Amino acid sequence: MRAEIYCSHKFRMANVYWKQFLTGLALISLAFGAISCRVLANDEEFFGKTTPPPRNLLRYVNGAEPESLDPAVSSGQPEAHIYMALFEGLVEYHPKSLNAIPAIAEKWDINNDSSEFVFHLRKNARWSNGEPIDAHDFVYSVRRAISPEVASRTAALAYYIKNAQAFNQKSVFVRDPATNQFLLQRDFAAAGTPVSEALSQKGLAPNELEYGATATSPPSHTHTEFHQSMHSPARLVLPADEKRRKNLVESDAKLAAAVNGKEFVRVVGEDIGVEAVDNYTVRVSLSQPAPFFVDLMAHPLFRVVHRKTIEKYGASWTEPANIVTSGPFKLKWWKPYNELVTERDPMYWDVANVQLDEIRFYTSTDHPTSMNLYRVGGADALINHSVPNPWLDVVRPKKDYMDAAEAAITFLLINVTQPPMNDLRVRRAFNIAIDKETYSRAKRTTKPLSAFTPTGIFVGYPQPKGESFDAELARKLLGEAGFPVTKNSDGSFACEKFPVQGLSLIFATHTSNKAVAEFMQAQWKQNLGITIPLGNMESKTHMVAVNKLEYKGFALRIWGADYMDPTTFLNMFLTPSDSGSGWWDQKYVDLLEEANHTLDRQKRYELLAKAEKYLLDAQPMIPIDTPSVNFVKKPYVKGMYPNPASLYAWKFVYIERDSSKWDYKTPSLSD
Amino acid sequence: MSVQLLMLRFIIRRLLITIPTILVVITITWALVRLAPGNFYTGDKKLPAAIEQNIREKYGLDKPWREQYLRMMADVLRFDFGTSLSYPGQSVNGIISRTLPVSATVGILAYLLALAVGIVTGSIAALKQNSKWDYASMTLAMVGISIPNFVLGPILVLVFSLMLYWLPPSRWEGFPSRNIILPVITLSAIYMAYIARLTRAGMLEVLGADYIRTARAKGLSETQVVVRHALRGGLLPVVSYTGPALAFLLTGTVVVERIFALPGLGTYFLHAASNRDEPLLIGIVAFVAIVLLLMNLLVDIAYAYLDPRIRY
Repeated sequence: MRAEIYCSHKFRMANVYWKQFLTGLALISLAFGAISCRVLANDEEFFGKTTPPPRNLLRYVNGAEPESLDPAVSSGQPEAHIYMALFEGLVEYHPKSLNAIPAIAEKWDINNDSSEFVFHLRKNARWSNGEPIDAHDFVYSVRRAISPEVASRTAALAYYIKNAQAFNQKSVFVRDPATNQFLLQRDFAAAGTPVSEALSQKGLAPNELEYGATATSPPSHTHTEFHQSMHSPARLVLPADEKRRKNLVESDAKLAAAVNGKEFVRVVGEDIGVEAVDNYTVRVSLSQPAPFFVDLMAHPLFRVVHRKTIEKYGASWTEPANIVTSGPFKLKWWKPYNELVTERDPMYWDVANVQLDEIRFYTSTDHPTSMNLYRVGGADALINHSVPNPWLDVVRPKKDYMDAAEAAITFLLINVTQPPMNDLRVRRAFNIAIDKETYSRAKRTTKPLSAFTPTGIFVGYPQPKGESFDAELARKLLGEAGFPVTKNSDGSFACEKFPVQGLSLIFATHTSNKAVAEFMQAQWKQNLGITIPLGNMESKTHMVAVNKLEYKGFALRIWGADYMDPTTFLNMFLTPSDSGSGWWDQKYVDLLEEANHTLDRQKRYELLAKAEKYLLDAQPMIPIDTPSVNFVKKPYVKGMYPNPASLYAWKFVYIERDSSKWDYKTPSLSD
Repeated sequence: MSVQLLMLRFIIRRLLITIPTILVVITITWALVRLAPGNFYTGDKKLPAAIEQNIREKYGLDKPWREQYLRMMADVLRFDFGTSLSYPGQSVNGIISRTLPVSATVGILAYLLALAVGIVTGSIAALKQNSKWDYASMTLAMVGISIPNFVLGPILVLVFSLMLYWLPPSRWEGFPSRNIILPVITLSAIYMAYIARLTRAGMLEVLGADYIRTARAKGLSETQVVVRHALRGGLLPVVSYTGPALAFLLTGTVVVERIFALPGLGTYFLHAASNRDEPLLIGIVAFVAIVLLLMNLLVDIAYAYLDPRIRY
């Protein structure tokens, strides 16, 4: 009854008042238009107010709410920013280059093939509760971070450490109970694998031979028992899961015979190649040479956490009342989904050089909201990619807009397992039918990309060139593949035989992704006469479709670097299942392997470039662009550089009150 | 049976129906999260299989689904919604009790504002039917209903924060603070407009009723007639609207909380759904469902008091 009255009223009212309503709407939109013109059409130097805060504090809009304060848990950028304030590792990211700079370690020695590192810790490093930080704390932190129980999502970054992967995957060694000897991996290795053995896998040699004359202070205590075991050939590793292990053993007669009568020993944290040689010396042994590993050690995964607190409080150790931290700042308070406030830690070893009293990390996931807050002077800097695309025209000319290359690539992944995309000629055609120059000009903030590593990020890396835009050749290639492109009378093209049914270009829902996809679609339509339907998907649905190869055609992806080396991109195609394209080639893996066993840095880069070229020729993806960072920071915020990963060592950031020393453009990344 | 007893029986019956309803709602939510592609740990990059396995074992996702469902239900029946998956270490109950005050503060203030403005404007419009007051207020109400809050919010921010610098554009600074003004106005606009329309319609119907004529004939003053007799009957539609409206306002509104970066329940609701945070989502859905059902019950009770003709 009630509902009936209510509905009839609504209907009648709507009829009577629709004219007034339209008038009102027109008035409102006029007013809105006038206001926005007035607000946006200003010719100020900066975007909004530039009054420094009264105290030395930084109000930083940090995007999403941090998942957890445990540095081993999250992989996101908002969390990384907070971890970098609260926790320190042996090394820290350089504010400009992101290379490793001393932190808890004062200095380090690298062996001749970058497969072993000796870190010398400073003796005055302190936890926020005043206790000293020593080598054992680091060893504990790494063992904990990659333990299967913590189930870290970034644990794979530590797989370079000897036995770390086996420990994280809960694998087992095989031991002969009679002799106490372990079975060795090399006795069962498939033919043709290791190109050469890393120094860390060979028997111990004198210091001079392993570390060379460059070592600032040759590591003492070389001959511990643990170190001997690290320098022994790698042990055979089998899955802990009995069913999987049984399958594996039964498939290999030699292995089955060798395993018979042996016992399986679980790989534990004590087995991994991280050793406290003494209270202030840490030795890290890798299973392969990795020249970039020192830089990787600045990652939150390797930052030290306080053992006693974790053992006492378990999962709630990160609560403000319990947490003990190691970084330049300590937790002051945390109001979830609102703000997390850190303050300078007086116990920090370099406290004299920490310039900010406080950093306030604000949670705000809506970019226009963050921009407005910045504009009225309620925030001093924003997280990367916070300038919405439609705002670029207004914000980009301002002097507080940060524009620099980012260590990331945008590309279309191709599912190469299904026709017609299993034909290399078709993939090539779709690549060279896209005018990437025009695309980047239209998008304004990116650089066109023809390779699979970002342009202008890895200094000295001879990045190979992929094929460039050539619509004529693209049509010819399609013709060769059996899909002739014909020219219509009006000058447009058609490719009637091409089977578009089921093909699509899928992307995760986001305005900017949609724009990219539409551009690609238009290019193919214009140059090949083929219309590929677009598939707009919720982001997790998109990821599942890519990971499980549940798409046909193309998937738009953006890949950001985990560390500053080309392999952070090239390794995507290292295993058959991880890339999401279905493409895998042993030759490519061998090329990467060869590069990683090459000692000379430049030679290694050349070999990596060779591998990249091989990948580009196989074309399991279409590179699109190198994105740019785009955010705003007030000119008085100094020491914050738009580096390729947007990670800031906070102790170098400060508030400059003398306006003559402000940043009047994007600060340079080269000194 | 006495009226009171009938009423009590009605209330108990309604409360008993609530329990199975909630359980069905929870089951559907659980199934929907399970059916949605991806997991809480699905990120930009594919996780190595072993790492995914570690996570699944840690959170018991490797167990058969029946076992997981029964365990979840057992927890829910003990009012323990468990720990959030996407915010490890934070209990769902803790998140709800922390965010509810934020959403409820903004929601209740918005509804009070909407009631005050809406009833007054609606009454004036009804009493002065077809006058310029009537047309003006009803046009404004129509505009209020038509402008979605994701448009109104940014307009208010543009005018009051970016142009005039009077009010902060976002963020929660507790209550009372100046930060609360814009979200409250944004949130209340549509309710204000609706209440004005409902009041006007209700009043118009009542003003022509016999008992109003009786009241006038008794020689009561016009104010007494309006306030004591007309409003009481004329507000019935507003009351029935209050239940669901208040339930939604109390439990947070996704859009307004996002525009103004408020740490409310709606923010977490959206986060839980898009991150497949099953315990958090189930906890919030169950909570919202309970509030909604209780509000509707309260409305039905209030009805009996306002309108002597209604019997249960």
